[in-house]
Amino acid sequence: MAFVLVPFAVESVWVFWPAIQGFWFSLTRWDGMTPPTFVGTDNYVELAGDATFRGALVNTVIWLVLFGGLSVLGGFGMALVLQKERRFVGFYRAALFTPVVFSLVVTALVWRVFYQPDGIADTLLRAVGLEQLIRPWLADPQTALYAVILPALWRQIGYVMVLFLAGLKAIDPALHEAARMDGANAWQRLRHVTIPQLKGVNAVVLSVIVIDSLRSFDIVWSLTKGGPYHSSELLSTYMYSTAFQSLRLGYASAIAVVIFVLALAVILGYLVRAFREEAS
Amino acid sequence: MSDFDPGRRRFLGHLGLAGLGALGASSFLSACASSASGPTTSNGSGAVTIQSNLSSPQAKAAMEKLIETFNAQGKGTASLNTIASETFRTQLPTYLTSANPPDLYTWYAGSVANDYASKNLLLDVSEVWKSLDDYPQSLRTLSTDASGKQIFVPMNNYWWGFFYRKSNFAKWGVQEPKTWTEFLALCETLKSKGVPPIGIGLGDTPWVASAWFDYLNIRINGAPFHRELLAGKQRFDDPKVKAVFTRWREALPYFDPKGKAYPFQEATTALLAGKTGMFLIGTFFADAAPKDALGDLDFFRFPIIDPAVPLAEEAPTDGFFASAKTANPTGTKALLSYLAGVEAQEAYVKASSGIVLPANPKAKASDSPLVAKGKAMLNEAKELTQFFNRDSSDALQPTADTALTKFIDKPDQIDAILREWQAGAEKVFKG
Repeated sequence: MAFVLVPFAVESVWVFWPAIQGFWFSLTRWDGMTPPTFVGTDNYVELAGDATFRGALVNTVIWLVLFGGLSVLGGFGMALVLQKERRFVGFYRAALFTPVVFSLVVTALVWRVFYQPDGIADTLLRAVGLEQLIRPWLADPQTALYAVILPALWRQIGYVMVLFLAGLKAIDPALHEAARMDGANAWQRLRHVTIPQLKGVNAVVLSVIVIDSLRSFDIVWSLTKGGPYHSSELLSTYMYSTAFQSLRLGYASAIAVVIFVLALAVILGYLVRAFREEAS
Repeated sequence: MSDFDPGRRRFLGHLGLAGLGALGASSFLSACASSASGPTTSNGSGAVTIQSNLSSPQAKAAMEKLIETFNAQGKGTASLNTIASETFRTQLPTYLTSANPPDLYTWYAGSVANDYASKNLLLDVSEVWKSLDDYPQSLRTLSTDASGKQIFVPMNNYWWGFFYRKSNFAKWGVQEPKTWTEFLALCETLKSKGVPPIGIGLGDTPWVASAWFDYLNIRINGAPFHRELLAGKQRFDDPKVKAVFTRWREALPYFDPKGKAYPFQEATTALLAGKTGMFLIGTFFADAAPKDALGDLDFFRFPIIDPAVPLAEEAPTDGFFASAKTANPTGTKALLSYLAGVEAQEAYVKASSGIVLPANPKAKASDSPLVAKGKAMLNEAKELTQFFNRDSSDALQPTADTALTKFIDKPDQIDAILREWQAGAEKVFKG
């Protein structure tokens, strides 16, 4: 019993209680100094009419789709390519995983050099004769968000690849063997053997991707701080700047609650479906 | 002094923030927020704790030296806590509202200090000011809160201006402009020589644009209007504010287009390399300059637009305030008196790298022609302003960053931008 109670007590203090408090703060107006005043659903009403919040929500969805989708595709693709033991495969895997090891701040510094005016990106474009495409990547509202997604992907693909590699290793080779005997081609084996076998890993990957997307903060903050003029703002950066720059902690808590609900909805949706399939 | 600067804090900020993203979003926010009532460092009985955001190597060493000297004098003991600037900024309200707060803090004069004073969080240091008779009235007023007591002790200030390289101006055959017309003519000349006339660094340091807004506003509408605007007593969608942007627009074609993408440190490099003609910036930028370039630097004041408007300059003032809840007010005041003295201020100026003017009028600034010129410029001014965030609040600064960077990108949309700015500002003032 103590094995459950001790972690539960720790969780209660460090996770559940602050989370519940977050809900309470979202119903208040609070500057962090004077005591919070209860304002009911004012913060949520304001959220509904806040153009910056809507922009951040749209950007977060774009982020979820692009960052999540591409890192699953990229990670899965890389895992398939690199699952077979052959020469130098360890080197390639390590190379793809390396970005995960770097601190995100270091990552941001490197990518900043890449994007800076007359930096590597511009030099490359000039070298291939596409200089008309050159723009201030991180300072142009048209490109800022995508310029930030790229480094995030660069990092995430290696991570997702490792998860999938572990999953692929766990598939019984006999299944593939049998499928091959039955005359299944590579595509059919992928579709009907590999992917169904990865179901457990998929749940993990999906949770990781959704959580990572919604909490993506560091890379955006280090590269653009959500700017220029909110064009690369995500819910997480908007929450941070509202809380710690504008000192509107009640409103920021309301944003945090929205993030929480979004994460919960996506993950619960998946879990419910997964359970239903299992039951049937 | 470099870390005193608003933007420098933000620049360093992203380093400190890296770890935050690792925490889950909603629990992270409320965990931070709810820690506001938690205790921080205890000051014990005797020693005065000083919480410092001067985390750059030179400034930190200078502070350590000062505290060491103070402790050796036997008037009390003090211990220094140096905190990364962005952490300091976000944690300051927590420090001040905690049950057992540190005693003394480095911070900025102006509204940012008065806001805390209005919440009764700051120690009345009028007693310290009794011995600061020779301080100029402007600094005394700046350190006085709405109820008429002093709550701040200034350490030094610095100035903003258009910096340029003397050798480059000589090479291009141009002179310092005095008026806005001369300024635009200078820009035109530089542009015709293929040099982007006006350097700026808005990538990562968008607050640099606020210097333009501040200066145009105090040149066109005057410092009193500027302060009222920043205090929420005037509106950002006022035609008087629009007039500021109409002027600004005249200079926009001369801005270095790359300035949007890089931070002010790189704008400094561009200026020094002759890739831009001049750069409106505070003296802290020289921290990023190689020592051999310093002798070649000069500056001119922001050009006069309307001679009828009393001359005002930006002179951000850095210094200290103390917690109202300090367990050792006597020791805290003794330390403040020491820090306000000639000896401490001269030692600090000597040890720190930047170009700063000590607040104590008897303390000698470093004797370079540049510093003498800066000092003369501030003395000539009828009014001193601090900087956008210091005259308003850190909370209002992001609204300015959004409005100003958008204006630089899309000057046609100025009416919409000003409406958005007013709406954003109202939210901040409402809390």
